[in-house]
Amino acid sequence: MKTNRAFVLLGVLLLVVCTGLAASLDRWFMGWQGNRAKNFNPLNVAIGDGQKIFAGQFYRKADVYFHSGMYPSIFDNNASFKTAHIGEDAGATGSKNQGDEANYLGKSHDIVEQFSRNFFPSHHTHLDEGGVAGELGDKSDVREILPWLKIAQELDPEEPLTYTVTAYWLRSRMNKPHEAERLLREGLKALPDHPALQFELGRIYFENQKDSARARNIWEHAVKSWQKQEGVKADPDTFILEQILTHLAKLEEEAGNLPLAISYWEQAKVYARKPDVIQQRIDELAPRKLVPNGPP
Amino acid sequence: MNTMLETSKPAAPARGAAALPAGRDQLNGNPVGFKPDVITIKNLRIEYRSRELGSQKKLAVKDLSLSVHAGEVFGFLGPNGAGKTSTMNVLLGFVPPTSGTANIFGVNVQQTIARQRLGYLPELTYYYKFLTAEELLRFYSRIFGIEKAERERRIDAVLKLVELEHARKRLIKTYSKGMQQRVGLAQALINNPDLLILDEPTSGLDPLGRMKVRDIIKRLKNEGKTVFFSSHELGEVETVCDRVAIMHEGELKVAGRVDDLAQQHQCNLEQLFLKIVGYQPENL
Amino acid sequence: MKNSFAVAQLVILEMYRRKDFYVLYFLTVLITGLMGSVNFFNDPKVARYLKEICLALIWICGAFIAIATTARQIPAERESRTIFPLMAKPITRGQVLFGKFLGCWVATCLCLVAFYLFFGIVAAAKEHDWPVGIYFQAWSLHCVMLGVVIGMTLLGSLVLSSVAANITLSVVITAGILFVGRHLNKVAAQMSETAGAMVSGLYYAIPHLELFDVRDLIVHNWPLIGWSIWGIAVVYALVYAGMLVLASWLVFRRKSFQ
Repeated sequence: MKTNRAFVLLGVLLLVVCTGLAASLDRWFMGWQGNRAKNFNPLNVAIGDGQKIFAGQFYRKADVYFHSGMYPSIFDNNASFKTAHIGEDAGATGSKNQGDEANYLGKSHDIVEQFSRNFFPSHHTHLDEGGVAGELGDKSDVREILPWLKIAQELDPEEPLTYTVTAYWLRSRMNKPHEAERLLREGLKALPDHPALQFELGRIYFENQKDSARARNIWEHAVKSWQKQEGVKADPDTFILEQILTHLAKLEEEAGNLPLAISYWEQAKVYARKPDVIQQRIDELAPRKLVPNGPP
Repeated sequence: MNTMLETSKPAAPARGAAALPAGRDQLNGNPVGFKPDVITIKNLRIEYRSRELGSQKKLAVKDLSLSVHAGEVFGFLGPNGAGKTSTMNVLLGFVPPTSGTANIFGVNVQQTIARQRLGYLPELTYYYKFLTAEELLRFYSRIFGIEKAERERRIDAVLKLVELEHARKRLIKTYSKGMQQRVGLAQALINNPDLLILDEPTSGLDPLGRMKVRDIIKRLKNEGKTVFFSSHELGEVETVCDRVAIMHEGELKVAGRVDDLAQQHQCNLEQLFLKIVGYQPENL
Repeated sequence: MKNSFAVAQLVILEMYRRKDFYVLYFLTVLITGLMGSVNFFNDPKVARYLKEICLALIWICGAFIAIATTARQIPAERESRTIFPLMAKPITRGQVLFGKFLGCWVATCLCLVAFYLFFGIVAAAKEHDWPVGIYFQAWSLHCVMLGVVIGMTLLGSLVLSSVAANITLSVVITAGILFVGRHLNKVAAQMSETAGAMVSGLYYAIPHLELFDVRDLIVHNWPLIGWSIWGIAVVYALVYAGMLVLASWLVFRRKSFQ
């Protein structure tokens, strides 16, 4: 009898010690950087940062959907798909494609290959143009790329391209600026002061909400962010800076601040791929700068 | 040296009994007392290839010649490894003979039709556990090509015979060992066979179960069926068998009527068996 | 033939009474349901990802049912010794083998009917469309493809001594063909002459299971495959499955049961 009581008391003692230890460790654990349990994502808990390698796969999956399933494998001619079209069309990346997108499969090598082409998508289409054979699809079908972009973003929250591309399609093709803004704000939490995200957010203010003041503020802030983050690098990514400056220039043009607009155009020209086009625009604006409140 | 102690008459030649309709009419037209051979084994030799590299072939049965007559209960005896199961495996078509022939109703055992009038009860077999007894019997009777109306009648009859009517719709996995053995007997009888091959039919059964199986064998004998069975229970064999054969180390040592053997060797079956297998206790 | 049908019926009954299918079906419904409840940027019309996930689950479950059911048939008969009373009946080994093949195949096809019906309901709920023609093509091509897989697994169950090894090998071969079978000719073209010739030979010899994977066509609402093309594919699979069953029979007829 006595022995039983001793065991019960020992059990209770151990339970109290365990609970105390757990309580004291909990505060440290919740603050610990390596704590995977902070996140409810089971993949994150299981493989941690390793999940980022899957993010690119899902981003590519979105591009596969953009092409209604027609996409080259690693065994096909990949040159034509070096840039995911969803990113390229969103203006988030410059084109790197070299091959013939419409005919990445080339000529069939044998009868089996010839026959097999009847069983998988083998015509080049874009969802935002109506998808399969145009008349069968619907331009709004481009929404189908969203789940994969969302998954890619969940797996790698520190990849800015996913936010900007998703925001572009939400804002400009699906008329969902609020969802786009929410996504970008989420992105800015993971990537504070990222110029590409700030630029995309500014586009929502400027193009959808018609709020030039907020757009100007965030774009000006984006330029500073770029200088802080990219300007110090030996080989900075000037593509996004050119876009910010170009949009700032357009905004100031609309607002009638032509000297400021020209100043932005001048800055953009330095990074532009076609500086002559920008120079042409500057030349158009220069005479109007002298006439206060002249017609746009 | 010929160690075979054959006391029975030489086996009668096969009479093409398979061509006759099922039943006992096959005896018609023959002289009174003539019993055609149901099983005929001639110079049967069975060798097994060993899987181990470099090891020699194992001889399981050596030049076995044997015949079982219609309507008799034949006991096939021998210690473990004597070649009984190998012989049965050949009779059932499980294993091809290395040389020699084995016929059932005059048909080579390698032919499927040889098993049309045969019922077989293995020693220890687990039947499809996901089936009920009724479904199991229905499945086997379909293979025998029994018509639907006759099939249901036969299922009722055999389930009644083995006293499993109450459990006919229960899954076999819920059966006790004795019940499973009775299901086995039921499936062996589903086609109303003229020849029954029973491998240790009472193995693992309680005394009551053994008695029931013995009763069934006797009843089958009375119905004119031929029963060929192996057993270690010598007392049981003595009780129910007309003739016996004793195998040892792949060879047939003795075959004949139980009474004749007792008279010839001046001992009972158990003593003869022990003598043949080389067991010599002082009091024997 | 009636003997083979009896054996086939037994296999179907076994499948019906085992829990494998129900568990896999429930998991498919559960996972699809969970994925369907995810909100992507407040757009309820997003459908294709759900179709893709549901079809992927159906393919995994279908392959598992086909391979696991077939792989255990003959070994289970031997292990539980049910093969002895069966082979003591007037049934040939060929009939047993064909019955096993037929039973596994029909049972798998019936499971696929249930799976594709569920898929149809999921897709119709999202897209308000029920393209019966393409669903039939997808189901039938899936069925004949699994016929080849079943034939392959049946042969494996007679050659390999372990059920687990057979299942593993069948899964690896099936997945390997599905993923790279189509590209072996391109791989061969980049290799040296001898190695290239071997890979090229493999390319022509393997059953091209990937032909029957038309999930992308369903997911992205592509038009029907030409019926003549469909017919050729079905015949191709049936001939291949027939060859595998024949090879299995050649092995099985020489087996001795001890």
